[in-house]
Amino acid sequence: MPEFTLTSAPPLAGINKAYGDMHLSAPHDVAIVSISLPLGGEDAALSAVKSAYGVAMPAVGKTATSKSGETLMRLSTDLAFVVFTRATPDAEPVVAGKMKGKAYTTDQTDVWCALQLEGPGAMRALERICPLDLMGFAIGDVARTAMEHLGTIIMRTDTNGWRLLSASSSAGSFLHAVETSIKNVS
Amino acid sequence: MSQVNRIKGGQIDRSQTWDFTFNSKKMQGHPGDTLASALVANGQKLVGRSFKYHRPRGIFSAGSEEPNALVQLRKGAHCEPNTRATVAELFDGLSATSQNHRGSLDYDLMAVTDFMSPFLSAGFYYKTFMWPRKFWEKIYEPIIRSSAGLGRLSMEEDPDTYDKGFLHCDLLVIGAGPAGLSAALSAARSGARVILADEDFTPGGRLNGETFELGNMSGSDWAALTVAELSAMDNVRVMTRTTIYGAYDHGTYGALERVTDHLATSGDQPRQILWRIYSKRAVLAAGATERPIAFGNNDRPGVMMAGAVRTYVNRFGATPGQQVGVFTNNDDGWRTAADLAAKGVNVIAIIDSRDAPAVCDVPGARHIRNAAVMDTAGRKGLKSVTLTDGQVIPVDCLAVSGGWNPNVHLTCHQRGRPEWRDDLSAFVPGGDLPVGMAVAGAANGSMTLAAALAEGHAQAAAQLKDIGIKAAKADVPQAEDEPRECAAFWHVKDSTKRAWVDLQNDVTVKDVKLANTEGFRSVELLKRYTTMGMATDQGKTSNIAGLAILAEAAGKTIPEVGTTIFRPPYTPIPMGALGGRARGKDFRPYRLTPSHKWAEENGATFVEVGNWLRSQWFARPGEKGWRDSVDREVEMTRGSVGICDVTTLGKIDVQGKDAAAFLNKVYANGFAKLDVGKVRYGIMLREDGICYDDGTTARMSENHFVMTTTTANAVLVFRRMEFARQCLWPNMDVHLISTTDGWAQFAVAGPNARNLLRKVVDEAHDMSNEAFPFMACGEVTVCGGMPARLFRISFSGELAYEIAVPARYGNSMMSVLMQAGAEYDAVPYGTEALGVMRIEKGHAAGNELNGQTTAHNLGMGRMVSQKKECIGNVLSQRPEMQREDAIKLVGFKPVDPSETLIAGSHFINKGAEANTANDQGWMTSVAYSPTLGHSIGLGFIKSGDTRKGEIVRAVSPLHGVEMEVEIVSAHFIDPEGERLRA
Repeated sequence: MPEFTLTSAPPLAGINKAYGDMHLSAPHDVAIVSISLPLGGEDAALSAVKSAYGVAMPAVGKTATSKSGETLMRLSTDLAFVVFTRATPDAEPVVAGKMKGKAYTTDQTDVWCALQLEGPGAMRALERICPLDLMGFAIGDVARTAMEHLGTIIMRTDTNGWRLLSASSSAGSFLHAVETSIKNVS
Repeated sequence: MSQVNRIKGGQIDRSQTWDFTFNSKKMQGHPGDTLASALVANGQKLVGRSFKYHRPRGIFSAGSEEPNALVQLRKGAHCEPNTRATVAELFDGLSATSQNHRGSLDYDLMAVTDFMSPFLSAGFYYKTFMWPRKFWEKIYEPIIRSSAGLGRLSMEEDPDTYDKGFLHCDLLVIGAGPAGLSAALSAARSGARVILADEDFTPGGRLNGETFELGNMSGSDWAALTVAELSAMDNVRVMTRTTIYGAYDHGTYGALERVTDHLATSGDQPRQILWRIYSKRAVLAAGATERPIAFGNNDRPGVMMAGAVRTYVNRFGATPGQQVGVFTNNDDGWRTAADLAAKGVNVIAIIDSRDAPAVCDVPGARHIRNAAVMDTAGRKGLKSVTLTDGQVIPVDCLAVSGGWNPNVHLTCHQRGRPEWRDDLSAFVPGGDLPVGMAVAGAANGSMTLAAALAEGHAQAAAQLKDIGIKAAKADVPQAEDEPRECAAFWHVKDSTKRAWVDLQNDVTVKDVKLANTEGFRSVELLKRYTTMGMATDQGKTSNIAGLAILAEAAGKTIPEVGTTIFRPPYTPIPMGALGGRARGKDFRPYRLTPSHKWAEENGATFVEVGNWLRSQWFARPGEKGWRDSVDREVEMTRGSVGICDVTTLGKIDVQGKDAAAFLNKVYANGFAKLDVGKVRYGIMLREDGICYDDGTTARMSENHFVMTTTTANAVLVFRRMEFARQCLWPNMDVHLISTTDGWAQFAVAGPNARNLLRKVVDEAHDMSNEAFPFMACGEVTVCGGMPARLFRISFSGELAYEIAVPARYGNSMMSVLMQAGAEYDAVPYGTEALGVMRIEKGHAAGNELNGQTTAHNLGMGRMVSQKKECIGNVLSQRPEMQREDAIKLVGFKPVDPSETLIAGSHFINKGAEANTANDQGWMTSVAYSPTLGHSIGLGFIKSGDTRKGEIVRAVSPLHGVEMEVEIVSAHFIDPEGERLRA
């Protein structure tokens, strides 16, 4: 047994609140790993993705979800995130193993904090902080934007469901921004 | 009954009666009233005092153009000055007070200024208060400011909250009058996403104030039905109480929604929302504003705009007078007379400036043609008017119509200029409209109802076609083209009394002429000299008459004179709404380090570093000030071991087959041959050769590097590297991603650093000096398998490491490091101790990398490689940047060790005068060195590298301090680097 052990304390752990017809929570154990497609090795990397997850790499601004629940978010021509559930701090080796050296991978798990906003009023709340046209968002669409000066990735997970990712160091400010928006339309 | 002027009809809800007060006087009104209409109904003519002369003033209009009826609304901290009573919705319990008077509204002591008016013409204070000069700031200006003005702030913090938001649409329709409703309906039925915004709380525009018939129903009923249909459609957003106040680039519009202003309290909701609307296309249907005619004493309470008078009668069931006269130069003025007569209000006379037959039959009214009003009587309320032929007509209300001005304001927000139309005697939108905007209805000069409806549909259809949406078939209701003939008539020349052009700023016809006489002949200068068109109404009722009078005085045509530039906002926007939710703690986001919680629990004082909150020092009981804490932290770190959270430094993951070559281009020094498992210090130059950042980069594997940047430049470096990757060298296989927030990183420094870390890093990793020497790096595990990264780098000059673990374990890691270090008396240290130790070691930081200094200045000129292509190395070789006598970074210590160096002091040679010509350089960073026992500093001084041992003066004129200092090496401790290699 090591003399010391480390304990995990994600910045938004435990957030789980209802506001009228909306619900805000911080999903547990969200692991995020970036996949970068090598210049000149794109086809091999895309094949590796397909082999690893059983789904093709989505187009930029779209997502695809594997049968086992991993979500591929295509954020730009040569960059995608794999988002999946994993509690242990070894997400990057897991994805790197699946890529078999065909893509570059970087652990992004602790770079981000995640919020899940659900409910019929969610879009009304988000239009207070999100400059994007959310009415034009199909389920599965994803985009990078800024909310209250904070870089944010927004994904529509359902008709009334939205996944938000923002920097973990400013998680408190981000939570406040989202909660304020919810309260202002509740 | 208090509502002495309430008459039948209108769109108010008489089933409810609300109480309100005006200057503490109890009054009553109904839902659907504005404060102004309720005041009219209650017979309150006098509502305020004018800006400059404190003249009694009454309600003048029925809309957002109101110049007179400005009140203070609500009480205490909620009190808002300069609220236009004409757009303030009545609510039960409303409290309003008049403003700009000393003493009561009826007996304003400052009305004495009116008797001094011959001395107070336009620009009087430019001419009058010339001497003595020092009196201006202390005496003249305070007196002028206290005697003239509008409302007063509560001086308490605004308790309301505000918000902002973003909306998107295919078509934005601005204004819900007949043209706007027609446009919105056509677009909505076509399936387009439509936003319909109107500043009123009841959409309909003039349809609510008129007695128009549309098809087989009244105009107001058609408006209500249309709004109901639109509101029920998923593709339409109807926004009432919303003013589109500005047209910005690319179809973006600013909108202010007044969410709770019509309620007694806001509850928990934001009072107002500032929206940014992104539209693909827009139809401006902002209508038109009626303009007055200037004549003697035309500002008395009871002199009103004719269209407003009939709005009060038709929409609000309240008559502004019992004996009404109409003074007009156009057919539309007759409509007022006809509507009032139909409601049973006595219309005494219709005074038409034209020599033309009656437009319609008005029972009981005299038609006086080819005539004008030249004076009025009744100080606090109109009693009579005197015509140019000398006859006096007793009236308690005069409805004046000088024609209508299309509301072209938003068409000019992108510098478009309106065009004059002789047939309307008015400006209409020019051809240079904001991108994506079309104009319909009265705003476009289509002044009749049928024309407005048809044009609303046509413009919407054309706009939709532009974006590929086929418009639905026209379904425009039957409507009339009412008579609109108008003959230009701006002011009554026969008047000998003051004739007011701008009621809000007390500008008269004489003032306009005076400005022209004195050479202020440009309309822009006229505005500044007379203040015409300024303040809350922005001259909506005065501008055109003013420039017409200027044209007349200057012998020009009105289009030759032109208009001033219309700029946003169209109507006033409260500062609170502009601030939105960004108040107090929420003014900007904050970032916390992973060990923030631990630091809070252990007495840290925090300092803002950009958005970050960093531990500045950790005070212990008994310490009397920050210096005690910082000195201790430095001494304990140098004596044993200290720990500092350095997560804030930027971290960029660089991967790719060309990663090494790429770094070799962005760093000035060589990186291509950095061994795997090694770290190297590097400097980055701008293209002009100036140093802009420094840091270390570790090679984790052949194609994988981890770069650190300074905290301040993390984003800048990433942005520049991304630019280089995408634009300069797109054929390189390089991929960048920030991991700043992903890793909690701690500096562990001091002679016992290795001993401490050996207790945390798993045994499989050899940490001996031989296996893991200075500038080594690698992947390790800690605490039984936790992935971590270890770098042997030192900012303090001590044996030091930086160890990183996934950020969610950072708080725990800090605690573990302190526990493991307990036997070595480990100390947490903050940014102050960090700063002291880096100055002792002679490391440059932000004060030295200030955007003006080169590697040559920093003593690192030889690091800039000329054997490769890299950003900045060419221009860094310019002769001026390589001068031998250039400033060089060196150390300084006071000749008298008891003296304290001051950062920012300038160096002057002994015996030389302390002036800029003799300036040798400046002190960049200072600290008290507990290691050396005296103050030390870093600074730039000419040829500093060859002047060690020389005594110069450090002069700070700002502090009135100068002292002698010795030029020394910047490396105050361990110049050979033995400690960090130990």
